[in-house]
Amino acid sequence: MVEKSLYIFSNGELKRKDNTLFFETTEGKKFIPITTVREIFLFGEVTFNSKVLDFLSQQQALVHYFNHYGYYSGTMYPRERIVSGDMILRQAEHYLDTSRRVAIAQRFVQGAAQNLRRVLKYYQGRGRDVENPLDKIESLIPSVSSYDDVNQLMAIEGNIREAYYQAFNSILSNAYFRFEGRTKRPPKSPLNALISFGNSMLYTTVLSEIYKTHLDPRIGYLHATNFRRFTLNLDVAEIFKPILVDRIIFSMIDKGMLKASHFVKASEGIFLNDAGRGAFVKQWDERLQQTIQVRELGRSVSYRRLIRMELYKLEKHLLEEKVYVPFAARW
Amino acid sequence: MFVIVMYDVHVKRVAKVLKTCRRYLYWVQNSVLEGEISKADFAALKRELAEIISPDHDSVLFYTFRTTRYTSRESIGIQKGGEDRFL
Repeated sequence: MVEKSLYIFSNGELKRKDNTLFFETTEGKKFIPITTVREIFLFGEVTFNSKVLDFLSQQQALVHYFNHYGYYSGTMYPRERIVSGDMILRQAEHYLDTSRRVAIAQRFVQGAAQNLRRVLKYYQGRGRDVENPLDKIESLIPSVSSYDDVNQLMAIEGNIREAYYQAFNSILSNAYFRFEGRTKRPPKSPLNALISFGNSMLYTTVLSEIYKTHLDPRIGYLHATNFRRFTLNLDVAEIFKPILVDRIIFSMIDKGMLKASHFVKASEGIFLNDAGRGAFVKQWDERLQQTIQVRELGRSVSYRRLIRMELYKLEKHLLEEKVYVPFAARW
Repeated sequence: MFVIVMYDVHVKRVAKVLKTCRRYLYWVQNSVLEGEISKADFAALKRELAEIISPDHDSVLFYTFRTTRYTSRESIGIQKGGEDRFL
């Protein structure tokens, strides 16, 4: 299946026309082949009716919508097509049994830490001074397996990430993108705005991939399952944040693709504007289609596919067929 | 795979052919559509078109590429359509 994403930044109306998608703005009209669209990201002000929603559900396409500031607001998650009562029971079973839940949560933290380390190693190889954060992370990784409480795991994950962020100023030479602490809701610096936006793109992409599996996104292991939101995608995203989101940010800043004109000050924070979001999303989309060689498989797969494979590995773990080993980037 | 579809059909069937192709591919210019398509979808598209056209009067051409890596595309004049996923 050709799985592509549609990103709408302009304001207009999305319609169902001639059994396919049709987007109409004051500037023009455009037909979009429905068979290729598996998810739609709405950043602009888009009007649509239930006819489109019904059509998109029927085609199993997800719609992620973002508010004016680029904050993720929600997803139109169509009725699950592939349901498995057994898988949901397994997911719940692993959540309710503390030792089993911790075993999975530990792996998410370890996987994330490994990939954070890999990113720093890369910059160390390029002569950046990341010695201290790297040492700190390496000293923390072995301790992850000794924590048997999810809250402690969240804390250690936070410590590892904090050490990692300390390396940002050595990696980035552009003075506009200084790292002075992580701030969210609202992000207080351009770099924070980028991290927040990139992370929400990743969360939604993982969610789209979860939809294609038997997993239920409401049951996460590291992030506590609650009444409000999807959490499994947050867990799995941890593994990919450093190698997808952070790498795109570094490379875009390095190449001078992001400037002050891509950011706006609003409601006591700093946000990407449409041009900034557009620039990031283009890189994001390209990266997901980029393929890398996976040694275990002996062939190359796209990053999007890699996310899906991570979910399949998790399914196998839940079915107790094969212990889940998180993806570890090799470069 | 990547496919380019061109059709030359009787005016009575032009709209039907166009509507069918639009569900799978991006409109490029009159009677020409292109885009990436899965093998299954390509088979479905051909099947649907075969139902619409009159085999004795109409003609539909498909150029397929396993990848577009070794191809190039040039154009002069205005751009009428094509793939655009960033609207």
